[in-house]
Amino acid sequence: MRKYIEFARVQMQVHAAYSAWFWANTFSVLLRMFVIYFFWRAVYSNRSEIESLSFDGMITYIIIAMFLQMFVSGVGRELAHTIKDGNVAIELMRPYHLITRLIAMDIGDKVIYFIRGALPLGILAFVFMDVTLPATWQSGILFLLSALMGIWIGTFFDLLIAILAFWTINLWGLEVMKEAVVSFFSGALVPLILFPEWFQTVSLFLPFQAMVYVPVAIYTGILTGTEAWLAVGSQIIWAVLLFGLLRVLWSVAMKKVTIFGG
Amino acid sequence: MIRYMKLYYLFCKQNLKVMMEYRMDFLLGVLSVMLQQFAGIFFVKIVFDHIHELNGWTFYEILFIYGIAATGRSIHHIFFDNLWTLGWQYIRPGKFDRLLIRPINPLFHFIADRLQQDGFGQLFIGIIVLGTAMPHLDISWGFMEYFILVIMIIASGFIFVAVNLFFATLSFWMVDSLPIVWTIFNLSDFARYPLTIYHKGIQHLLTWIIPYGFTAFYPAAYFIKGSGFENLALLTPVIAIVSCALAYWFWNRGLKAFTSTGS
Repeated sequence: MRKYIEFARVQMQVHAAYSAWFWANTFSVLLRMFVIYFFWRAVYSNRSEIESLSFDGMITYIIIAMFLQMFVSGVGRELAHTIKDGNVAIELMRPYHLITRLIAMDIGDKVIYFIRGALPLGILAFVFMDVTLPATWQSGILFLLSALMGIWIGTFFDLLIAILAFWTINLWGLEVMKEAVVSFFSGALVPLILFPEWFQTVSLFLPFQAMVYVPVAIYTGILTGTEAWLAVGSQIIWAVLLFGLLRVLWSVAMKKVTIFGG
Repeated sequence: MIRYMKLYYLFCKQNLKVMMEYRMDFLLGVLSVMLQQFAGIFFVKIVFDHIHELNGWTFYEILFIYGIAATGRSIHHIFFDNLWTLGWQYIRPGKFDRLLIRPINPLFHFIADRLQQDGFGQLFIGIIVLGTAMPHLDISWGFMEYFILVIMIIASGFIFVAVNLFFATLSFWMVDSLPIVWTIFNLSDFARYPLTIYHKGIQHLLTWIIPYGFTAFYPAAYFIKGSGFENLALLTPVIAIVSCALAYWFWNRGLKAFTSTGS
């Protein structure tokens, strides 16, 4: 355990070192917040609610979802690179579990990003953009729990896709595709309640809405009471399922590596 | 000039061979960019299922703006995508010096070095979107209209090129300006929607400083009756030429600064 905590810590330092990228990223997020804000203000210019969401509710949903989406992915890229440049063979000989190490590093990344990026930008959004707090403290706590589950599910899904690099070698296309699918089905762009009926039904059976929609819907009060708890329950099922799936796929991939290695 | 066209043809042929070698990559890349674009359009569709107009703009007008942006950007994406890599693939590993000793224009060489297949996905989507939106606009499409549309799209593409070239050039002084290029490029997200929905300050910024407004909104507004921007829209090709000239001048300055430190 100790060595993995060390990985997370080192990753925080690495992250802090790339300050040009950090500022570029922060600034881009800020820009995106502006676009979102003005877009939705125009949408609401002559109506007070859409699907029972007021402007404040909508902007809160969209901005919180945008932040959460940044936390549900990222670890896969590192794994894909390691596979692509062949370093994976060396990594596997080292005295740690590669996946656990990557997750530890990812946690380090995300903690530092939360402190330096998401938190200040989030406060800005509260002060200037009509983003509101959860209605009750219970839904606030359930949101935190659900968000952590969402991040877990997103991380494991990301790793699953990345392992495909053992077969496809180049992953850029798959990653863009994954990004598009996730940002859509997860409800990161619009609350799923705005979607047509059939689309909502389809997404009920996919793991994506468990990444972003469920936590943010709890936050904004779209999901409350039993509904909210049921949604968290389905998140737990997905979390376990993806974890299992990753283990299976990883061991299949390992066999492939040993065959290559001779 | 003819020599350069011949050279470009040779570079392209080389690039296509590389593409065909990784056919799966080619397909995946095109497909995923299409999907990415499609997600953006679907987003607008979902929103318009609940409203009828956005700040006076109809669904098909927004689609039309989106289509011009996508098609224009695909020109940049297919032919000029190498601009992104100036810092980390050329200057940092010292690969750029190689271009300088060749008897052709280094900018030409640098750009012709890569053809980005993924851009074709964007081109397809752009054309499909334009084709969907155009019959719903209140305009009769004759030869003149098509001609102007093509000019506008080409101008749009070259504005993207000019902005990226300008900021990529900073790499000559700071090794890798990719974070800056990327940040500025993200500004083009604003350009996918009518500029009228934004604060005045943002409108001015995107019109006169980083002219992304001319990559989609103004060209589209030219065709939309009563938009109030018909005259400004006519500036689009001028803006494209001026910004390319400016970016090229800046590039040459960067090149001088680079060689003087290298020797």
